Order: sequence, then structure tokens, then C-alpha cells
Amino acid sequence: MTSAYLDFIRIRFLMMLAYRVNYYSGIIIYAINIGAYYFMWKAIYGQADTLAGFTVAQMTTYVAVSWMARAFYFNNLDREISNDIRDGSVAVQMTRPYSYLMVKMMQGFGEGLFRLLLFMVPGMIIATLIFPVTLPADPMRWIIFFVMIWFSFLINSQLNILTGLFAFFVENNEGLMRMKRVAVDLLSGVIVPIAFFPEWARAVLNWLPFQAITYLPGSVFTGRLNGAETWSALLVQVVWFAVLIVPILAMWRSARRRLFVQGG
Amino acid sequence: MLAIDVKQLRKQFNVQKNREGLKGAMLDLFKREHTQVTAVKDISFEIPQGEICGYIGENGAGKSTTIKMLTGILVPTSGHIQVNGFVPHKDRERFVQGIGVVFGQRSQLWWDIGVIESFRLLRKVYRVGEADFKQRLDELVETLALGELLNRPVRKLSLGQRMRCELAAALLHRPSILFLDEPTIGLDVVVKTEIREFLKRLNREHGTTILLTTHDLQDIEALCSRVIMLDDGRIIYDGGLEELKARWGKGREVQFQFNDPIPNERLEALTGGLDVRWTKENEQTAKVWIPLEINVSDVLSRVVGTTDISDIKIFETSTEEIVREIYRTGSAETDQQRADANLDEREPTARAEAVRS
Amino acid sequence: MRIAYTFELFREYLANYIKTKLTYRADFWVEVVSDLMFSLMNLVFIFVVFQHTPALGDWNQSEVVFVYGYFMIAQGVFGCFTNLWNFGDRYIIKGEMDRILTRPAHSLAQVMLENVDPPSLVGSLVGIGIMGAAWGELGLPFHWYDPFVLIVMVIGSVLIYSGIYTTLAAISFYSDAPTGIIPLMYNIQSYGRYPIQIYNKGIRFLLTWVLPFAFVGVYPASYFLAEHADRSMAWLTPVVGLIVGAIGLVVWNRGVKRYRGAGS
Repeated sequence: MTSAYLDFIRIRFLMMLAYRVNYYSGIIIYAINIGAYYFMWKAIYGQADTLAGFTVAQMTTYVAVSWMARAFYFNNLDREISNDIRDGSVAVQMTRPYSYLMVKMMQGFGEGLFRLLLFMVPGMIIATLIFPVTLPADPMRWIIFFVMIWFSFLINSQLNILTGLFAFFVENNEGLMRMKRVAVDLLSGVIVPIAFFPEWARAVLNWLPFQAITYLPGSVFTGRLNGAETWSALLVQVVWFAVLIVPILAMWRSARRRLFVQGG
Repeated sequence: MLAIDVKQLRKQFNVQKNREGLKGAMLDLFKREHTQVTAVKDISFEIPQGEICGYIGENGAGKSTTIKMLTGILVPTSGHIQVNGFVPHKDRERFVQGIGVVFGQRSQLWWDIGVIESFRLLRKVYRVGEADFKQRLDELVETLALGELLNRPVRKLSLGQRMRCELAAALLHRPSILFLDEPTIGLDVVVKTEIREFLKRLNREHGTTILLTTHDLQDIEALCSRVIMLDDGRIIYDGGLEELKARWGKGREVQFQFNDPIPNERLEALTGGLDVRWTKENEQTAKVWIPLEINVSDVLSRVVGTTDISDIKIFETSTEEIVREIYRTGSAETDQQRADANLDEREPTARAEAVRS
Repeated sequence: MRIAYTFELFREYLANYIKTKLTYRADFWVEVVSDLMFSLMNLVFIFVVFQHTPALGDWNQSEVVFVYGYFMIAQGVFGCFTNLWNFGDRYIIKGEMDRILTRPAHSLAQVMLENVDPPSLVGSLVGIGIMGAAWGELGLPFHWYDPFVLIVMVIGSVLIYSGIYTTLAAISFYSDAPTGIIPLMYNIQSYGRYPIQIYNKGIRFLLTWVLPFAFVGVYPASYFLAEHADRSMAWLTPVVGLIVGAIGLVVWNRGVKRYRGAGS
């Protein structure tokens, strides 16, 4: 069974490789993104040395690493799932001897792995050469960072699955998917680190899962969180991962019931 | 005037080769390999106005590719096409004004709104005058029995209902040539018959030239006076349907139901001197195979007078069997024909008439 | 003659769009709201940033918001007419291009008309509102010809967008990759709405001459901003618009000739 799941990862990985126009343009566009944000933040800093506790160097590294993390955790599982539900192929998938959601997760992972190895690594090398990115020297920090972006992937995929599954219950979840996307980009800290938000907004965001997607791993990588803080950041991710399993299972159960009773 | 004139038409596709495995995929990222596939290989044919021509062949034989080149969707690799006096892909927008296209698998109607709304929009697209449109629509509504369907959204129609609407949509601008790609696919027998009747009538009353691809040979038997058969991008038969049957139908079979058990020797003796072959189904039933050279009546007269018979059935080889046989052998040319092929003469095909079905 | 014909077709397609949407009324509002959310996210970014700095380059908050308002107007009009997001998927892979090509109107016009998306015009209205508010806040003078200049500029910007995205969509004719580039490009276009001076030479060149997104934002909007008025760049907007639009059309027309149809 496990080997079947591994195969889903492999196949999605190969599928991504098949489209080379996307690949080349993807690298260029990621590089442009990092560049544009780098200069924008430089302009924002102006003469200031630190803003919201970020030094210029930390900010540069944060921009690079958060885009790279995004390359890994980003996927379109929400859209895929809701398309499967809309065209009825989810019912066919349910007859197969595997867990549909698990397969989706694996496919998302294959995609993430592809971007990690083929976008993120070359992109990160380019970014380090052009911009003053400071990479952590401590190997432990690297390990923790990779563990953390693994959880970023899990949590982001869980949110995608949740939004995708809504297609079972509402006729059109397009708007929901778009809003989720906006929320993840804005509130997870890719566009602006959470530390820059006003006090009240930060208080709210602390209780939402989004910070676990980009802001926490980014903060660990840039060295803004150290020692015990690192572990508590990881703990926050683990807790969110565990908590999000509950609504997914609940929705999946009731979706299946609906499907079997009403016949899709 | 010729409705369709095709000379040495060829279409090649570049197909990307995917190398196997992870290593292959990585290599593909940097250097891609292509293979060239020739879907249509230098075919030539002519279709006069007012003909109904069937275009048949197995999947991947190049039927759809040809149709798409004839309708201006695809640009040929080489060769010459003239349809309705136009080169389809060159003067596409003016050209398509004079043709109608129905792809059985694909709808041209707007999914969520009433059928009539799609028709109105197509009226604008094809610049059909209001009065002309009304007259044409009334005519189509009557012949295709669309009355009740007009205000229903397309997604609520059954496949047969939808196909009738598709036909109407393709004919609103009175095209002189109609292209049909699998028009009866997935329909039930009643609807199929209705559609065939409609097409025959369209051809008879308006002289519309019809070119259709199909998998259903009954479509061909019901409609076509002429058949073009395609295999692996080449034309392997082009000619009348009757001709095809005459040349390939190798014989007929007659089944007798006797009142009393009858031994084999007795049957053989009855037809002594004739080159026929008997097979026994059971004690009282036997079949005789009669080659084309021998008249069926000769055989019947010998058997009927001397035995006590309760039932006689005559079987003729069906087109389907003929076609299957042709594909099995890979060519529709008899040896004689192969010799004639160089002379390139073909009997003029009759104008569309209902062919025996 | 031809333009009149296309215009009439536009009216018909629009009528059909409205009839369709009347059956799914909720979708319309969902789309409007999620579009606005997206814009709101960008505004939040601007406001959060200006909490930490008085100026971006030498542009103050109202000026940046002003440019953003302009950007929204152009973006809304563009989104309404050139809605090519899933062109590759729907028309090339699923083969709907076949149908388009059997009809006597220009293929690009048909594809654009089939996908008209009026809800995005609401974004333009909001953009006008934002621009107006910033106009007042900045105390800019108002001339009788300003609205006409604005219209010319917006047309130019919309042509630039349409040209670029048409070109990208037409790539699907050449390569068998689904154009995953389009969503990636979406990130880049947003950089044209910040003061171009903050970027380094490379990105400035890119945004001006290669992917001229700066003409959909900062250049044309600066026409109205007394302090940053760069009239010559502003007036290039319609010129660049015509050029990019023409390129898009040419690439499309050539691409259509290479259309291969779906399946066999």
C-alpha cells in the first residue's frame, strides 16, 4: 500500500517535469518575485536599520526563504478536489482500494518536491549570489527548517482539502477557494511578515493557522526565533496539523454519507 | 461544380517523445525528442455537389484529421484542398459561412441557457437576416420536432434531443455543405433513424452535400451512395456502396427448415453439379452457401420441389462483414483492380438516392 | 464594418452571459466579493507598509494608493474582456477550439467574448473611487480633459495586459504544456503599480520594456501626479499598448495555424 502512495508522488513529480515551458518560466518568475520584493523592502526600509524587529539582512533572507517555502507548500489541491467532485470522478476514486485524500496529499507532495528540488534549490542559489541573503550556519537550524516546511506543506494542504471538500455541500466554492488563497498569501506572512501588522491584528493572527505556513518557518530560518522559541514554533505547527484533521474527517464522513445516500 | 476537391493532402504531427523514468524526464527537460506521425498520407478525392459521402475507418485512421482540414480547423502539411471554392484555412472566416459542422461528441450550444438563445446568437454570428432566420427556424423546428425543446436549457436535454438541436444549429445559415463527425454516436435506434431520415430529406430538398464520418455502418447503408474508406492515413476504397458489396460480398447463404430429418448425402445429391457448400445446423435445419456466380433460384428450385420445407431464410453478407473483411486483409483492391488502379478511372457515382437498407 | 459586427456580437454574448448568470445569481456576488478581497489584500499591504515608513522611494501613501486605484481600473476592464485563465485547458486540451474555428468571426474575438466576465468591472468602479479619494487627499488640480486622458491611458494599459496575456495563452498552440505560466505571471504584474524608481536597473528595464507592466500603473498614473509627473513616459502608454496588443494578435494568429486539435 505504501508503495502505491509513493508511486503517486513519483508520477506527479514526473508529470510536472513533462512541461518544460512551465519549468523554465517558473524559475525566472520566482527569481523576479524575490528580486522585486527585495527592492521593495529596501525602499521601505529607506534609512531605517530595523523595522518591526527585522534587520535589513533578516528581511532579505526572510523574503527569499518565504518565497522558497511557498514553492514547496503551494499546490492546487482545492481546485483539483472540487473539480473531481463536480465532474463526479470522486465517486469512482472512492471505489479504489486507497484513501482518496491520502492520494491527493501525495500528489501535492510530488508537486511540492518537484518545486523544492527544481525551483527552490536553483532559485535559492541565484538569490544568494545576487542579494545579501545570509544562510544559517548551524546545521540544526537547517534540519528544523526542513521539518517545519514539511508541516507548512501539511497545514496548507489541509486547508486546501477543506476548501475543496466544500464543493460537496455548496454548488459553487469558487469564491471560497479564491478567498482562501488571498488569506493564505496575506496572513501567512509571504507578502508581509506578521510582525509588521498592528498589535490587534497580530493578536488575532496568533490564533489562526496561517502563521504556521510561512511566518514561523521563515522566522526560524532567519534566526529571529532561537532556542526554546524554535521548539514552541514547531509545536504550534504540530498542534494545528492535529487540530485540522478533525474537520477534514468530519467533512469527509458526511460527504461520503451524502454520496452514498443520494448517489452523487 | 465540385463541392470538395482534395489533392495529395497530407498532415503530419510532431509528437513529443517522453523518455522513460526519472532520468529520461530530466533529459527531456533540456532536450526534447520528437517523432513525426503522418496522420493523413497524400490522399486525393473529389466530391460533387449534392452527394452524401460516408467517410469510414478505424480509430486513428485519419478521419477526424481530414474532416478538420476540410473545415479549416487544421492547416494541412502539404497538398491542395478546395471546398466550396475556398481554401479552408486561408480564408477561414468567409469559408465557414458556407458550411455547417456537427461534432457528435462536442456541443456548440450554450450549456446553461435555452436552446433558442443559442440559435439567436448563432444568427448574429452568421449574419442571418431576421426574416430569413425565422423562416429557416420554423422549417427546422418542424422537420426536427424541436418545438418543445427550444426553451429548455441544453443541460436538461437528452442526448438525442441535443443532437437534433445541434443539427438545427449547424443548418441555420443554410450551408451548402454539411460535415458530420459521428452524428449518431451514443444515440438509440429510434433517434438514429430520425436523424438519418432528416439528413436524407435535407439532401433531397436542398441539395446539401453531406460528408459524414461514422462507426455505425447502418448510417452508411441508410444514407450514402458513396463510401471512402481510410486505413492508416490512406484511402483504401473509394466508390459506390453497391459496388463495394458486389465486389466483396462473396456469396449468400440460404437456410432451410425441413419438416423431417434429412441426411447430408441427400442434400449433396440435390445440388449435385453446383459449387455450393452445405452445413447442418441440426437434424432438420441446414444452410447452404451459394457463390455469386450461381443464381439462388437455381438452388432453390432443386431443393424446394423434392423436400418438405417449413421455412426458408436468405442471408446476404452485411456491409459490416464486408468492411471487417476488408480491414482484416488490409486492402479493398482485388487483384484485377490493382491492375486498373493506374488508369485511375472511377464510375461516376449516382446522386444521392436512398440505398437499399 | 467588421468592428460593428464584433461589437454587435459582444452585445449578444453579453446578453447570453447575463441570462446564464441569472440562473446562478449567487455566483456573481461571490465573484465580485472575492475580486474585491483580492484588491483589499493589496491595499492592506500598502497600509501595513506605510505604518513603518513615511515614504516608498519618495512616494507617500496617498500617491501609492492613487496608483493602485488606477491599476484597479485597468485591471477590471482587462479582466472583463480578456479572461483567458483556463484557455489552454478548455480550448486546447479539451478541444473547444474546434468549435470556435468553424464559426465566421475572428477566433480571438470569439474566445474573448465567450469568456466575458462583467463582475470584474466592479473592481474598476472601486478603483475609480480609490483614485478619486486619493485625488482629493493629495489636493491635485482637476482639468476638464483629465477624464479623457484617463480613458486613453486605461485603454493603453488594457491593451498591454491583453497583448501579454494573449501571447501567453497562444503559447498553448506551440507547446503542449498547459499554460501554468499565466498564474505565475499574475504575481509579476503587481510590481508595475509601485514606484518604478525603487527597483534596480534590471527590474526597471524588465517592467518597462520586456513585460511592460509599469505602463499598467505607475507610468500612466504619474501623469496626474504633479510631483512625479513624467509626461513622456505617461504618453508612451497608448503607444506601447498598441505595439503589445499587435504583438499579441500576431502571435495568436500564427499560433492558430499550428492548432492541432484534441485527441485524434
